Amino acid sequence: MQIYLPIAEISVNIFILLGLGTGIGFLSGMFGVGGGFLMTPLLIFIGVPPAVAVSTEANQIVASSASGAIAHWRRRTLDIKMGVLLLIGGSAGSIAGVQLFAFLRSLGQIDLIISLCYVGFLGIIGGLMAIESVGAIIKRNRSAHSAQPVSKRRKRRMIDRLPFKTRFPASGLYLSVIPPVVIGFFVGTLAAIMGVGGGFIMVPAMIYVLRMPTNVVVGTSLFQILFVTALTTFLQATQNQTVDIVLALLLIVGGVVGAQIGARVGRHVKAEELRIALALMVLVVCAKLGWDLVATPSDLFAILPAREGGH
Amino acid sequence: MIAELAAAALMLQGQADPVTGADNAPRVVAALSQEVVEIRSDFAGAEIILFGAVTGMEEDDDLVVVVRGPAHDLRVMRKERTFGIWINRAPVRFENVPSYYSVASTRPLQEVGAFSALRREGIGLQHLRLVAPDTEHTEVRLGVEVTVSEIGEEAAEYRDAISRDRRRDRLFAETTSGVTMLEGGLFRANVALPPATPVGDYTADVYLFRDGRPVASGTVELGVRKAGLERIIYNFAHDYAWLYGLVAIALALLFGWGAAAIFSRR
Repeated sequence: MQIYLPIAEISVNIFILLGLGTGIGFLSGMFGVGGGFLMTPLLIFIGVPPAVAVSTEANQIVASSASGAIAHWRRRTLDIKMGVLLLIGGSAGSIAGVQLFAFLRSLGQIDLIISLCYVGFLGIIGGLMAIESVGAIIKRNRSAHSAQPVSKRRKRRMIDRLPFKTRFPASGLYLSVIPPVVIGFFVGTLAAIMGVGGGFIMVPAMIYVLRMPTNVVVGTSLFQILFVTALTTFLQATQNQTVDIVLALLLIVGGVVGAQIGARVGRHVKAEELRIALALMVLVVCAKLGWDLVATPSDLFAILPAREGGH
Repeated sequence: MIAELAAAALMLQGQADPVTGADNAPRVVAALSQEVVEIRSDFAGAEIILFGAVTGMEEDDDLVVVVRGPAHDLRVMRKERTFGIWINRAPVRFENVPSYYSVASTRPLQEVGAFSALRREGIGLQHLRLVAPDTEHTEVRLGVEVTVSEIGEEAAEYRDAISRDRRRDRLFAETTSGVTMLEGGLFRANVALPPATPVGDYTADVYLFRDGRPVASGTVELGVRKAGLERIIYNFAHDYAWLYGLVAIALALLFGWGAAAIFSRR
């Protein structure tokens, strides 16, 4: 059954969209990731214009992060103060990203930049995750022999010398406000360009750069993603009219169902194996996008709408 | 012969004007099975029928139906390999490229019309006028004004790329069997609108060809419009963009919250 998407202006099989939503929702429920990094390339692949795919995916992430953020809010497993700082940076980043997106689109290079961002980030994150999970499994298998002494003393780093320090009671940190704002800005920009929530960058950054305790990391990340993607949706809707509400609703409905099934299945799988599977999935998407960049395209010409004057 | 050509020329200027006088001057009258095609949520392409009558038609005359969609400016870029990666480069701007273009005729086009006549009217995929003003200039050669491309052979490749891209989505089409002659000078042609049909104002021109030249023509207008919910959503998104954005966010929050509520109850 075909459904015509009013903003994307294409006709797509409704079951493909529901299936995509459910499938990606399943994976995101199982692995605890947003899934935007998989959904956006797939939407572009089925013929949704990249601008519409990125904006609509931001709208979908509002829904998927909302349910998670509410759950963490109830359990108080989030650092509101840190979240607000990330959000301030993220909002500025989102505004910058939407402008940058429009500019790159006018140059005819947006597809290339989106692909390059994906290949770069998915490659790094997937690679690191794979190495770490393999290491963790090896360690678990011979944990009896080597229990490494972990040095408790923190090294004084660059980040600790920055000014405007403040206390983050929920995270138990005394830290400058600059790093969270900068990280938020960076993630916000990427979110607007890549059509992702950015959790896959923010979570590692919070753990390794900000050294936040892991129990508040996911909640705080979801809190920031919720507001930044809501802002991105609004900006894309007002500036570029590229949010397709019909497409978003179909993906959300599929995603909500898929996430619940995924979360249930995920409970019966070991954490390390789950992480390796996720890492492999990330690397496969990365390899596919990377291959498309270097493989000789079937048509050497790209047909783009002429530059709209004014914007 | 000269008189006939003169009549044909008059006809062309007057577009089957009834006041041209000559009794045996051929005329084409055309109509569409539907003048407005509505794009609704289940739109998966449409087939409309163009029908009409020809008066003063002779034995070896041919009919050609050309449907043109709304024109837009395009940028065509050639991909080039740089550091192993294919990058869009060398943009060429084309003006007023029809977003839909289909030709149907009673016989293959090259048998129907002379090269010059087809080119002048822009009939047929290889004769469709694709203008790239930034790369062309006109000059007078042998007393005739001709358009000269500054990118030479490449211009043809760029034009082919547009045609190829559109044919892939069945937005450009050329068939040699699309027009059927019925008895008494009546004819019908099927116009296939693919799922990717863009909205806008279309024109369908019917040409009567005699001895390789168009001797009469008729035009009908066709509108492709979004209708129903699709139209409401599209207009909403463009006319009240900020409200649309807020509604999109509100719906997403509602679904997200609903999922969380259902989930936590179990």
